[in-house]
Amino acid sequence: MVRKEFDIVIVGSGAGGGTVAKELSALCRDGVRIAVLECGPRLREEEYTGREVEMADRLYFDGGGVLTRDRSVTLAFGRAYGGSTVVYTGTSLTLPRRTFERWDVAGLDYDDLERRSRKYCVENNVHLLPPDRINDNNRLFAEGCRRLGYRVEQFPVNVKGCEGSGLCNLGCPNGAKMGTHRVQLPEAERNGVTVVTNCTVDRIENRTIRASVTEESVGHPSAWAPGEYSVSAKAIVVAAGAVNTPAVLLRSGMGRALPALGRYFTCHPALILVARHARPIAGYFGHPKSYYCDEFAEAEGFLLETCMYFPFTTAKSLAGFGEEPRALLSAMDHLQMILVLALDPARPENRVMIDREGRPVVDYSLTEDVRRSLVKSMRTSARIFFAGGAERVHAPAGRKFFIESTEADRIDELIPFDGFRTGKVSVSSAHLMGGCRMGARSADSVTDAWGRVHGTRGLFVADASLFPRSAEINPYITIMALADRVAEGVRADLPHLTH
Amino acid sequence: MIDSLLCVGERIAPGITELDEAGHARVSAMIQHALDRRRPALRRQLAIFLAVLRWSPVLRYGRRFDRLTPARQDAVLRWFHDAPLAPLRQGFWGVRTLIYMGYYGRPEVAEAIGYRPSRTGNAFLHGP
Repeated sequence: MVRKEFDIVIVGSGAGGGTVAKELSALCRDGVRIAVLECGPRLREEEYTGREVEMADRLYFDGGGVLTRDRSVTLAFGRAYGGSTVVYTGTSLTLPRRTFERWDVAGLDYDDLERRSRKYCVENNVHLLPPDRINDNNRLFAEGCRRLGYRVEQFPVNVKGCEGSGLCNLGCPNGAKMGTHRVQLPEAERNGVTVVTNCTVDRIENRTIRASVTEESVGHPSAWAPGEYSVSAKAIVVAAGAVNTPAVLLRSGMGRALPALGRYFTCHPALILVARHARPIAGYFGHPKSYYCDEFAEAEGFLLETCMYFPFTTAKSLAGFGEEPRALLSAMDHLQMILVLALDPARPENRVMIDREGRPVVDYSLTEDVRRSLVKSMRTSARIFFAGGAERVHAPAGRKFFIESTEADRIDELIPFDGFRTGKVSVSSAHLMGGCRMGARSADSVTDAWGRVHGTRGLFVADASLFPRSAEINPYITIMALADRVAEGVRADLPHLTH
Repeated sequence: MIDSLLCVGERIAPGITELDEAGHARVSAMIQHALDRRRPALRRQLAIFLAVLRWSPVLRYGRRFDRLTPARQDAVLRWFHDAPLAPLRQGFWGVRTLIYMGYYGRPEVAEAIGYRPSRTGNAFLHGP
């Protein structure tokens, strides 16, 4: 066992950990020693191949297919230098005020959160793409929404020098996406922070982290040699994501003192919906995600976004098998796609647990309201597809595989509520939130509004697990804003902490 | 387990039947790689489900799955796809996902299905 000593150790390097690392890195000039422990690899530029299964293996836990306990939802979350910011699309929205009010966290102020969100929008080059960079897949969605009178907005995105590879979710091969791997972590390293990749944290005891470094077949070698490590620190910031942060704390024996630990997990359960046009759309050229429609967020509980996925991901999103999916997938250049996100409630029953070996298990059930929202979202998406000119639409809960444009007036009948059955309909999620929710009391929350874990001095959380409810938008800017607050809290507490 | 999967896979992704030997080997290798990375408990559950899928047609048709006509194989798969019990649907979903990963996850399938991304996709946004 190799022993190491730092002043601050950050577990995870994604939107939360990367932000905290950069914000605290100025302290290195005063001799403060900071390390970031990241379980994933730091890929070389040439290792971003754009090949779907290969990149999913390299950049996601379980290749992007972590199953919930009842196998009804697959969870996708990143493991890499930069965490999930390596594999998101860079869509950058600020938490809506209405959502913030529902969060109702004592000590958290909306104007403060918005100010910090704006800071990262500037730092990460967030802007709207010009009209000549919008592809047909996105344009048809916007046109369809407008024809139906639905509110549609353009996504601000955090790219610089985007060449439109469309491979955002497999790691940008052009290095154009301004995740923490491009912005915050390099700055932190320049200022003296040590980033240790391929380093998995097992548990935290008395401000000492037990971790192991392994050799990976891809990426740069880790800063530390393979082996077991005991790392002590005055302050520890856990930012390993909404599955692994609760799991680390549970393995560390904190579940008894913190009954809310792991609970109130939410994930924006999602469907990928597909329609076929008579003419080529070629949605794989250009940025894949330019528009969203939140017309139905309040009343019906779902959000619609444009998307364009890869052959295997698209195939597994379809219901059915055999010739019909084959026919649909035989001309991917003719496909239009919509991503549906259900705005799921935070329920104590939905939670991250650990199994006997200490591995995380996500116990999550879709509520009846969420199922109904997903069916309604399929109906609405079908209308948008047809309004955009699609000739046929596939709805996974549909009575038949294809709904033809001539049947557009029978959408509600052809996509019945009882057609939604888990297993038959492929539900996925990439917005994992909650499990260490902020709040005033240890009885129903895990941290305070600055990410300080209740009752454990020097221990902080800084990722989406802090969310007390779902974000109802793409969450990364909000994670960065909260992480910015956590960094401020660590700075304030550090002089009073000892090893 | 791979042989059982591929037997079902030919009905799930019919394009598999048109692959040459190298294509078959590639599909098998991708599925095997994915299985190797899954937990033993999940692999055991998959093996049990495949055994159920193989032998359950005996109750209805008097023959195991691989000895049925393609039409009857499809009928069996349709039943599992929309089965009354969630674990059966989810088992079928797992099999289907592995097959699709092996077939549609091969880089060489892209051109054949009209999937032609480019690192410089913006150059093709408004036609070549």
